[in-house]
Amino acid sequence: MRAATVHKWFAPVLLLVLLVTPLLTDRYIQYVLNLVIIYVIIGIGLNLLLGYAGQFAFAHAALMGIGAYTAALLVYRLHVSFWIALPAAGIVATIIGSLGALPALRMKRVYLALVTLAFAELIQWVMIHWKWLTYGTDGVKLKAPEFFGFSMHGDHRTFYLLLLIAVLLYVFAKRIVESRIGRALVAIRENEIVAQCNGISVARTKGLVFALSAFYAGIGGALFAVTLGFIVPESFGMFQLVIHFSIVVIGGLISMYGSVLGALLLTTLPELLRGFQSLQEIIFGVLLMVFILVMPAGLAGLGKRKGWLPQEILSRNWRALRDRQAAAARDAASRENR
Amino acid sequence: MDALTLVVAGLANGSLYALVALGLVLIYKTQDVVNFAHGEILMVGAFIGYTIFQILGWSYPLALIAAVLLCGVLGALIERIAFRRLAHEHHITLAMVTVGLSFTLKGAARLPFGGDIYTFPPLFSDTPPIVVGTAVISPQSLVTIGVAVALTLLLWFFFRSTTMGKQMRATQQNLRGAQLVGINTGRIFSGTWALACAAGGAAGVLAAPVSLLYPDMGTNFLLKGFAAAVLGGFESIPGAIVGALIIGVIEMLFGGYISTAFQQVSAFCIIIVVLFVRPHGLFGHKPTHRV
Repeated sequence: MRAATVHKWFAPVLLLVLLVTPLLTDRYIQYVLNLVIIYVIIGIGLNLLLGYAGQFAFAHAALMGIGAYTAALLVYRLHVSFWIALPAAGIVATIIGSLGALPALRMKRVYLALVTLAFAELIQWVMIHWKWLTYGTDGVKLKAPEFFGFSMHGDHRTFYLLLLIAVLLYVFAKRIVESRIGRALVAIRENEIVAQCNGISVARTKGLVFALSAFYAGIGGALFAVTLGFIVPESFGMFQLVIHFSIVVIGGLISMYGSVLGALLLTTLPELLRGFQSLQEIIFGVLLMVFILVMPAGLAGLGKRKGWLPQEILSRNWRALRDRQAAAARDAASRENR
Repeated sequence: MDALTLVVAGLANGSLYALVALGLVLIYKTQDVVNFAHGEILMVGAFIGYTIFQILGWSYPLALIAAVLLCGVLGALIERIAFRRLAHEHHITLAMVTVGLSFTLKGAARLPFGGDIYTFPPLFSDTPPIVVGTAVISPQSLVTIGVAVALTLLLWFFFRSTTMGKQMRATQQNLRGAQLVGINTGRIFSGTWALACAAGGAAGVLAAPVSLLYPDMGTNFLLKGFAAAVLGGFESIPGAIVGALIIGVIEMLFGGYISTAFQQVSAFCIIIVVLFVRPHGLFGHKPTHRV
């Protein structure tokens, strides 16, 4: 079978397989699979910011926490329906995350990292100390959402919800990076001055990518809260952030497949090492360093080089373009044969 | 609480932050690397001190010297293995490697020491605190301030009067120029990391008696060091030291007069406010861009 055929059928077949998996899995495997899907969403969001736009911000875990707490507190304290709390989590995270664009417009390089690191620590402090709102380290419980009276209790049922949201967000992000905006992001990453000279509004594009990435983190956080059913401030600290960094770096920066591969690998790995925090930290840290040093394009880069994964081009019409070129080449060849 | 007491305690904490900030600024000036693992270097120093003082039962000065030397060697090794070959990479790459390093060191410390919290015995349990006027000063504060001042003076002398120190300053100002006049910049890089990490290790041993020892202890000191370096403009060592002292004192006054919970976040607030108001720090110069 030709590689192109495999690539064409890969996504629909994968979707079909995913749709029937809950019939085959036990509760634990299903739970891990749900986590993988959540981390795919979060990884895509961070990849937009860190990979495509090249903005080194440390706030992603904190924004995920904001999303998780918004959803959990709305449901638990105000008894709001989950279907309102979920978008609300995304919107609150987006609003707070957009604030991240403000320093990014003024500051270069290290300062953005520092200010977002301070912001992340501040958010975690607020989660711990603002007890009347967040219950501090006692955490918040979240019950399963209901869909017209049908309780989505259990990981097997929430899986379909997660899958639907993840597919929607994946397609949305793919459309974004293949559009003008995606190319603008990469231009900003490579050289802001050149981007500006080419008529890209750096301020607007940066604002957009911070907001988008925060939205993904917020939605991911809310879904994380549903899947775990219980959240504490410690879940959204530095270790969470290193998981996010590892997902996009090891999976592959500037690649949609990268976020998926990274999430798959780095969610299952800590589950295998459950209870050995030291080993988890060492493995995450060493993998992060080794990949940056040896394989900066990550697993997706390796896959694309070996031809296992199709190339990713930042243009929506590249397939049509490629087919036209191929047809032209065939015509030329047949004319010569004649 | 008496204001003067708080100020002296603040200066003692501030001199710890100064040792951390100094290392951060040194590495940043020489190699453009923001070392997110610097807090973990301090943690390693503290645990080396704990092992020597508490487990082996040697004296405190010996623990301090051993931690300084071992952390210096560790710093030189890190530079040689990882950062020498990365010199021209994107700054995200460089910072990401230090993030990975930070977690590797944390995990490595958790292997033997586990998740427990250790306490370093106070050095002066039977010496009464010194009273000057209205201020009550603990002997530990005096030792911390004294050692930090001595180390800073030593560094100042080193940069001013030794060949290696002058070569380091030259490398910081212009890497290409330093290479052209025949300075072995690789050695300078390793030396800078060794110095920076040695200062971090010293801060670790000095911090041990006044703070709790656990593998995550570094993050807090790292953030305070960052806040100090940011106040100082990230390019200037005297600026970082002044910034560190200011942060130490502000933090103590926050703790004494407002609330101890706010004490922890005062440094984050300082970073955020300073960077919003003056993105290049209090003492830094506005950078010029060459196109």
